[in-house]
Amino acid sequence: MTFRVTHTTAYTYESQVSASFGEAHLLPREMPGQRVHSAELVIDPQPEESAEHTDYFGNRTSYFALRSPHRALTVTATSVVEVTGRGPSGQLLADQPWEAVRDALAAAERADGTPPDPETLAATSYALASPQVGRSMAAAAYAVPSFRPGRPVLEAVEHLSHRINTDFSFRPGATAVGTPVEQVLSRRAGVCQDFAHLTIAACRSMGLAARYVSGYLETDPPPGRPKLQGADVSHAWASVFIPRAGWVDIDPTNDQLVSDRYVTVGWGRDYGDVAPLKGVIFTDGETRGLKVSVDVRRLPPAGAMVQQQTAAAPAQPGAPRQTQQQQQQQRIQPSTGEGW
Amino acid sequence: MTTAAGRAAPAGYAPGPGGYDEMVAPDGSIRPAWHPLGQTLAGMDLRDMRRYRAEASRLLADDGVTYHTPGTGERRNWQLDPLPMMISAEDWAVIESGVVQRAELLNLVLSDLYGPQRLLRDGLLPPRLVLGHPGFLRELHGQRVRGDHQLFTYAVDLVRDVTGTPVVLSDRTQAPSGAAYALQNRVVTSRIFAQLHRASHVQRLAPYFRALRKGLQEVAPEGATLPRTVLLTPGSRNETAFEHAFLAARLGVSMVEGTDLTVEDGRVWLRSLGHLEPVDVILRRLDQEWCDPLELRAGSLIGVPGLVQAVRTRTVSVVNTLGSGVLENPALQAFLPRIAQQLLGQPLRLPGVRTLWCGQTEPRREVMADLSRWVLKPIARVAGRGNSILCEQLDEPQLRRLRAQVLADPSGWVAQEPLRPASAPTLTVDGVQPRRTVLRAFAVADGQGYTVMPGGLTRVADDETIMIANHRGAVSKDTWVLAGRPERLTGFWMDPLVPSVEARESGMPARAAENLFWLGRYAERAEGVVRLLREIDDRRTEFSDTPPPGQTTTSTDRATIGAACIRALLQAVTQVTTTYPGFTGPGSEARLADPEQELDMIAGNDRRPGTLAHAIRQLLDCVDSVRDQLSGDTWLVVTDLQRRVMATEQNGGSAPRRRSDDRVGSALSDSARILHGLLAIQGLAAENMVRDAGWHFMDAGRRLERSLQIVALLRATTTHVRDTPADSLVLESVLRVDESIITYRRRYRSHAQVDTVLDLLLLDPHNPRSLTYQLERLAEDLRQLPGHPGPGRIAPTERAVLEASTALRVADTTMLADRTDGALRPDLDEFLAHLYGLLVRAGDDLGELYFTHQLRQRQMATAVSRPAALEQRPVVPPGPGGPR
Repeated sequence: MTFRVTHTTAYTYESQVSASFGEAHLLPREMPGQRVHSAELVIDPQPEESAEHTDYFGNRTSYFALRSPHRALTVTATSVVEVTGRGPSGQLLADQPWEAVRDALAAAERADGTPPDPETLAATSYALASPQVGRSMAAAAYAVPSFRPGRPVLEAVEHLSHRINTDFSFRPGATAVGTPVEQVLSRRAGVCQDFAHLTIAACRSMGLAARYVSGYLETDPPPGRPKLQGADVSHAWASVFIPRAGWVDIDPTNDQLVSDRYVTVGWGRDYGDVAPLKGVIFTDGETRGLKVSVDVRRLPPAGAMVQQQTAAAPAQPGAPRQTQQQQQQQRIQPSTGEGW
Repeated sequence: MTTAAGRAAPAGYAPGPGGYDEMVAPDGSIRPAWHPLGQTLAGMDLRDMRRYRAEASRLLADDGVTYHTPGTGERRNWQLDPLPMMISAEDWAVIESGVVQRAELLNLVLSDLYGPQRLLRDGLLPPRLVLGHPGFLRELHGQRVRGDHQLFTYAVDLVRDVTGTPVVLSDRTQAPSGAAYALQNRVVTSRIFAQLHRASHVQRLAPYFRALRKGLQEVAPEGATLPRTVLLTPGSRNETAFEHAFLAARLGVSMVEGTDLTVEDGRVWLRSLGHLEPVDVILRRLDQEWCDPLELRAGSLIGVPGLVQAVRTRTVSVVNTLGSGVLENPALQAFLPRIAQQLLGQPLRLPGVRTLWCGQTEPRREVMADLSRWVLKPIARVAGRGNSILCEQLDEPQLRRLRAQVLADPSGWVAQEPLRPASAPTLTVDGVQPRRTVLRAFAVADGQGYTVMPGGLTRVADDETIMIANHRGAVSKDTWVLAGRPERLTGFWMDPLVPSVEARESGMPARAAENLFWLGRYAERAEGVVRLLREIDDRRTEFSDTPPPGQTTTSTDRATIGAACIRALLQAVTQVTTTYPGFTGPGSEARLADPEQELDMIAGNDRRPGTLAHAIRQLLDCVDSVRDQLSGDTWLVVTDLQRRVMATEQNGGSAPRRRSDDRVGSALSDSARILHGLLAIQGLAAENMVRDAGWHFMDAGRRLERSLQIVALLRATTTHVRDTPADSLVLESVLRVDESIITYRRRYRSHAQVDTVLDLLLLDPHNPRSLTYQLERLAEDLRQLPGHPGPGRIAPTERAVLEASTALRVADTTMLADRTDGALRPDLDEFLAHLYGLLVRAGDDLGELYFTHQLRQRQMATAVSRPAALEQRPVVPPGPGGPR
């Protein structure tokens, strides 16, 4: 499926801002199962400087600096992204017990002079505590019931995701950026970021590697209503490492595995690594307004695009096999467009 | 020329059994390297030793050598034991080659971790040891500075164990401190033991600093001809602020704070006076995560937003490289021997202290089997406080808590074997005693390889403890590495073998200029307040037999005149210092009747702007932030003032008081002592400072402040009409406060009258205390500042000053004095108010043109994922965080 994603962040300031320095993770990355046909970042007013680099995690990272005085700042990212073949491959993932994954990761840490498995080594970053997902006894305690001995790893993670979906209510405003997992656990409420962080914390506490994925989800309007421009939001979910299968994305907010309706922007150890927009401004006043609007719109399948679908997964050595699977039957409920 | 006296240990010097003593061998003889010092000690008695100690303190205090307490920023004098640590040429050769090897090895490790990460791929280092360490900055992965040496400066803490073998305790790779203190220790120790120093063929420290200068040139980005270097400091309250200023001055680079730098057009610039100057190399003395609030620690207010991006575009070299903190992980020690074999094909020349990383099962088991035998350290060092836990000192519950802490996050901890560091002779109040020591050795990449400072910073435990660290108040020692043969004498700047490296003179940061301007202003303000308070005290003493000033009678006897004068002066001090309501307005009658408390407040309350204590506090803060701009004698004088203020504080609590405490019995009052120090600053500025832009800023500050003081004082006193006898007393006081009484008497030979006083204090161009004189000097200062349009033209900063000069020139003082309206002189009041307004404008204009005006740094507000509709509400961004 092909989507046009428009993500606009607009700031208005109480008094003049003499300079703004910003860093954005708003341009989607290429990856197996995701082709980026176009992506651009428009900043208003026009920054004196802008540059792009690839960060440690392989994400597209934009830098910009404005040095002319301004009282408003709007950052708009527009991209056309084609997603194909995402979703799990049952036979590959089903049978590995979660302990095997844990042990494989632990083996990569042995440093006994034998080279660890490169794929597993690459995943170790995501098995460690990170700035916003610290070591948490509470998360570990929450995780335990899902990780019964010998349970296949995907089944355990899905079970965990299902519990989070059931036990926690989606409540915007219950948390803020940087709310620790402990607080989410005690409040039993949060937003997608919090549920992703909780999933990650729980998996890491069991010795697994889990990462934070930032992106978008196509939503449907309420039945009988037209889809509103800008009514979508940016979304976040978790991804869990499974040796030989690669990374499996799971969305605890909607209790489903990630499908072709998800557009990935980038990933990191937690939100902090892939914050859509962060920065430093110089002003004596407050920020008066911050308005974010996201629009994820499905584009009609053009002939050219249909042809591209087969070539959607760029042939990469060692690419996770899951992505080479044909698009498979979705075992997920359609999203309702609200309350996730 | 060693005699038998130098070969036996000094009386009473008894190192404990089983340990290693640097000076005395187990058989009681003195080791050869110590013979000359032993001989010197043999000829000293306890009194001599105390004198040496006092002399060391005095010399350090003269040079203003301080160390700030982490956290509070409280200034403490640097502690030096005058007895040097002696290291023989043979022993040093072992240490030096070991330090070079270790620096080379750590350099390879650093290059690898920020590059291909072979150490992880080959299974030589556990990934979590690197990837889970806060010192590993992913933002800097793939970034290199020019040349092979990614580890620029390096310091290592070494102790001799009981067998006398030097053992590595820890590595410093972020922004190692201590090199300048080591040099300072040398300066002082070689003065105290001048003869011994000359006779001992001690290796000089200069080559290290020369290598540092050379290294800074070599590391500059490609294409930077005549690279410009700055030293980035966290600020004047940092623990080692002294060292930053000292190094900057010695290296001839600008000392800058984060706000002095800006990133524009993909490179770093210094905000200099009214313009930007490019910066090629940053010698970083700021911990890495604070360096960039955009990409590193978001709340940091002491960094430079965009610095990491500038590093990425390779237009600036930051050393030590951002990210070098990853090497300070003590757990690396456990893996270094094997890495040395793999990368260098050699064993480590200097053994490390036995280190077990609790992140591995076997080592953890060993540690947990008997926790009390170990020293525990977190793998991430927290700057500014003790990080080592000596488990044998813990009781059972404490051990249990620590065990739980370690088991909750084992890979966050290492255990090290406690060592018993060797002892060395130290002067204590009880004479020469053995004290345990740690040597910090320094190395710097000079472009070809590593140069090790021949010597280093030896630190001494102040008691029997084995923990030695500056934040615990350790005493330091100079370290004398003896040369095999007499050393060739080379100066600091020259080395006949190396062509001189040319460096571009760095510009003055606008912040430094601003601080110099305010240094001048506060010095002048403090002096003005001291003089006024002193005059009040003198008058009160003079009329002490009269009733308090509140109780006036109609008679015109001496008592009443005195009371009226004192009253006028009290009201003036409130007005001049703007410490309202004070002796004016509602409730002032009670304070006028008993002024003691209010006067003490004006002298001693350092939180209220306008007071003496506040001016001095601000003055010293300004001095601290421009230390690198001040040199030699200026340093001596401001340090002297610092000492006077500190002495005053020690005399009895808070800040300066007006009179000395009788208990102290000092002949000088506190205020006189402080005035003395202030006058020394003025005298020095007049006579000994180079007339550069910095001097003109400072002088402009002084002239402007004195002008404001004159106008405020005249306005507070001469605009009121009093009885003639009272008036002349007040006017006489005004003349005394302005230091013009002698000139006045010589010129007018009469009691003081308003018109003649105005003439002398406002108009007389020959009276160096007159307003006209101040304005002429101020205008001259402004003409000398950079960016002036040239002779015959007027800079925007001059306008208000010229306007004031013109107003003065056409003023008719007789008319201003004669026109009265009841108890007031309205024309005079209006005239003085006009002048005051112009002077304030002059100050504003100067600041507008030359000083930087940064708005507050804040974080861009972040959106929380939530339905779009909710985003319509205004979002208040989080306030700026950071340590200050």
